[in-house]
Amino acid sequence: MVENRPFLTFLAHAVLILGVAFVALPVWIAFVASTHDQSTFLSGSMPMWPGDNIWETYGTILGTGAPVPGAPPLTLMLKNSLVMALIITVGKIAISILSAFAIVYFRFPGRVLIFCLIFVTLMLPVEVRIMPTFKVVADLGMLNSYAGLSIPLIASATATFLFRQFFLTIPEELVEAARIDGAGPMKFFRDMVLPLSQTNIAALFVILFIYGWNQYLWPMLITTDEKFYTVVMGIKRMSDVADSDPQWNFVMGSAMLAMLPPVLVVIFMQRLFVKGLVEQEK
Amino acid sequence: MQTKRTTFRSWWLPYLLVAPQLAITLVFFIWPAGQAVYQSFLREDPFGLSTTWVGLRNYIRLFDSAEYLASFETTVIFTVCTATLSMGLSLLLAVAVDRMIRTASVYTTLVVWPYAVAPAIAGILWWFMFNPSFGILTYVLEMVGYDWNHRLNGEDAMTLVVLASAWKQISYNFLFFVAGLQSIPMSLREAAAIDGAGPVKRFFTVVFPLLSPTTFFLLVVNINYTMFDTFSTIDASTAGGPGQATTILVYKVYEDGVKGLNLGSSAAQSVILMSIVIALTFIQFRFIERRVQY
Amino acid sequence: MAGIKLSAVKKIYPGAAEPAVKGVDLDIQDGEFVVLVGPSGCGKSTLLRMIAGLETVSDGEIAIGDKVVNQMEPAERDIAMVFQNYALYPHMSVRQNMSYGLKNRKMPKAEIARRIDEAAAVLEITPYLDRKPRALSGGQRQRVAMGRAIVRDPAAFLFDEPLSNLDAKLRLHMRGEIKQLHQRLKTTSVYVTHDQLEAMTLADRLVVLNHGRIEQVGRPLDLYRRPASTFVAGFLGAPAMNLIEAEVSGGALMLAGTALARGLQAEAGRVTAGIRPEALRLRPAPGGNFRLDYVEELGGSRIVHGHIGAQRIIAQTDLAQELSAEMHAELPLEELHLFHATEGHRLSMGVSQPAAADPQLVGA
Ligand SMILES: Nc1ncnc2c1ncn2[C@@H]1O[C@H](COP(=O)(O)OP(=O)(O)O)[C@@H](O)[C@H]1O
Ligand SMILES: [Mg+2]
Repeated sequence: MVENRPFLTFLAHAVLILGVAFVALPVWIAFVASTHDQSTFLSGSMPMWPGDNIWETYGTILGTGAPVPGAPPLTLMLKNSLVMALIITVGKIAISILSAFAIVYFRFPGRVLIFCLIFVTLMLPVEVRIMPTFKVVADLGMLNSYAGLSIPLIASATATFLFRQFFLTIPEELVEAARIDGAGPMKFFRDMVLPLSQTNIAALFVILFIYGWNQYLWPMLITTDEKFYTVVMGIKRMSDVADSDPQWNFVMGSAMLAMLPPVLVVIFMQRLFVKGLVEQEK
Repeated sequence: MQTKRTTFRSWWLPYLLVAPQLAITLVFFIWPAGQAVYQSFLREDPFGLSTTWVGLRNYIRLFDSAEYLASFETTVIFTVCTATLSMGLSLLLAVAVDRMIRTASVYTTLVVWPYAVAPAIAGILWWFMFNPSFGILTYVLEMVGYDWNHRLNGEDAMTLVVLASAWKQISYNFLFFVAGLQSIPMSLREAAAIDGAGPVKRFFTVVFPLLSPTTFFLLVVNINYTMFDTFSTIDASTAGGPGQATTILVYKVYEDGVKGLNLGSSAAQSVILMSIVIALTFIQFRFIERRVQY
Repeated sequence: MAGIKLSAVKKIYPGAAEPAVKGVDLDIQDGEFVVLVGPSGCGKSTLLRMIAGLETVSDGEIAIGDKVVNQMEPAERDIAMVFQNYALYPHMSVRQNMSYGLKNRKMPKAEIARRIDEAAAVLEITPYLDRKPRALSGGQRQRVAMGRAIVRDPAAFLFDEPLSNLDAKLRLHMRGEIKQLHQRLKTTSVYVTHDQLEAMTLADRLVVLNHGRIEQVGRPLDLYRRPASTFVAGFLGAPAMNLIEAEVSGGALMLAGTALARGLQAEAGRVTAGIRPEALRLRPAPGGNFRLDYVEELGGSRIVHGHIGAQRIIAQTDLAQELSAEMHAELPLEELHLFHATEGHRLSMGVSQPAAADPQLVGA
């Protein structure tokens, strides 16, 4: 701070408190809704403070399953989301670090072309090639499977760039010393590259886990079997039905539980998260 | 392109290492994109029994269609409003946090966590708050005399998706603005203060201009975000309605393709969107390259 | 242990206009300490890295012992290398750094431990064996890098400017340690530096490189006394040798109309004369040929800057030397070096130069 101005500091606090309130409001309302019972909403008013139905709502959701048509039990969807997010995260990191390693530590014909092909994936978000991608997955018989949910999303230009950028900062002499010490490429990868990339891998893990967990369009397209519903798309299915027969406490309770894992990851791994985000530059 | 000066020698290992990434890229990215381009020149009859080569007619029809042009307009309005709102609020919060010393990290944590909320859930949460019969915001609006109904009123629906999308993006913009502010040397602000510039003047004459690389970078990212990632927010709240009021381009690709099964038109729309992404990516990388030279 | 033999070794980097190494022949004896010296960019590192196997050899042959190693991996060449920035593995402790190469060679654990303890004792790094490199000072890191080379007990050590990242005092100290280490281990060593003093003091044999070519090879004192070219003459010694344009006529070396030395038996014509600053004899003489400009005091001696005619000249004198604004400068004939005026190579003067006793032979 350049100079001490109590009024400006006060104003800054006020702005931040309002900002924090704006950011928290939708989630607070969702939480409050999950603690009241059905009749509260039917009466046409929305309370601002939690009610006493909290144990019943969450107990039902996590126990016997919410009596909401259109979706399987939440625990199953949470499990599917977790599996999908983990496969996507681990897969993206694994194939990106390997291809970045090849691109930086080898010279081989087609290297630049391959790099360009990987780069191009940046320009082809799922949303703009929905139909043909769906057809490929269908033709490969991957509809309604964990493989179909995750593998098509595993290619990652940004993770590859991040690792490439990081590898370029590793001193040249390190690989030379290791070669003189008798390390071949894969030994060098295991003994040097992997341990040195630890922080980068952890930071990417945080970002990619959130990315994987929050997938919506893709699971919606390729799952017709309720067994493979993920929680983010499942809640939408629940709320669609809820429109005619509102079970708002259960829908909002499920939404709270669906948000919880990635939000906890951000809060408890904030340093890694910020590093992953800012270094990834998108 | 750069490698290490000493590289490993093997004619097969590098190919093995890039194989998984390359296979997925080719099968799930390049091939479908090629298919989209190919299909955009075809027309399929509704039963999928026959296809005919129609040249550019799918594109011509699109630009003759009032619906498609309206969707373009909707996209522009949506993008401008969301990016402005989200970036404006984030900048305000970032500038405020930049004044804080001890409490900065607490505020940061409290502002950034919505990054983890799925765009689809963001849509559901705001949709719930604006529920016409018991939504809390509807109630507040009613008290000031506004009769909110996003199921009937297109402008209400647009406001809803703009709010939900901007809300979700605040944390991202905030983090980059904070990083940008921290990278401005304190000595510059001190020099301006010594030159007699007050805090407000200092912000507009020193801080904001120096922040312009960050602002420009975020602008590109936000345009990208609003054009593509908000698909889920819209689908989970207004589903493009009422009418076509919130049908942005991406949403229309989905509606015409997945729901309407109008493959030729959907493919042509995909190709148009791809060109937009390519242009945005190009701008972004040109810009990042420039920034590296600073 | 083994000798190293380079035959017509060339290196052309892809896309480079000029070869970085243009055909080098060099025979390094078993146990010899050879220093490659030359200005930055002359190809020293390239040559060393080709011996190590870190660069491919464009043409020619490199043999270590009696094996041609051109196609061998660095690890198969039985060499160890010490890098300028040490290249310690940052995530491994000192002990792990030193044992990595041995483990990869499947050496028994007990033998690894024995070698590390021994090397650590010699280098006095035993207290730091379990630290990570980042917790060490520059000098300690340097020792660990040396330790990593020593435990391998290789056929040859390769050093690429290993002392350049240290401050002046530590550099001097480590220079002495490297010399002692070599006397103890007697391992063939090739050492790259751009610092002529380091080169002079360490080398059994000195190789002066210029633009990818060997300019001269020999024992340090021989090179100092009989530089083969103006390049070597100007490169070795500090302050550097005066290289002045002069003329031989009538058996005298003429500069600005005065004779600097007499009795030469050299062809008349223009030459480059090389005069070591400490060889110039000065005495105060009004109207003498040497005009004094300024004096730098070094403590034990002084450096006198002046000029003869239009040529700037440096002389190094002891403190007893009387100085005045105008002096007479003269040169003993045996201290004069003559070089070809345009080509730069050494000219013979027909004066026999007494070979001085070699302190290395006497001392060793
Ligand atoms: N990897 C490389 N690619 C292309 N040129 C190189 C490379 N390494 C060195 N050079 C060039 O080769 C010449 C010799 O370099 P180097 O052996 O490093 O010199 P020195 O170690 O004597 O300073 C220089 O002109 C340098 O620019
Ligand atoms: Mg060098």
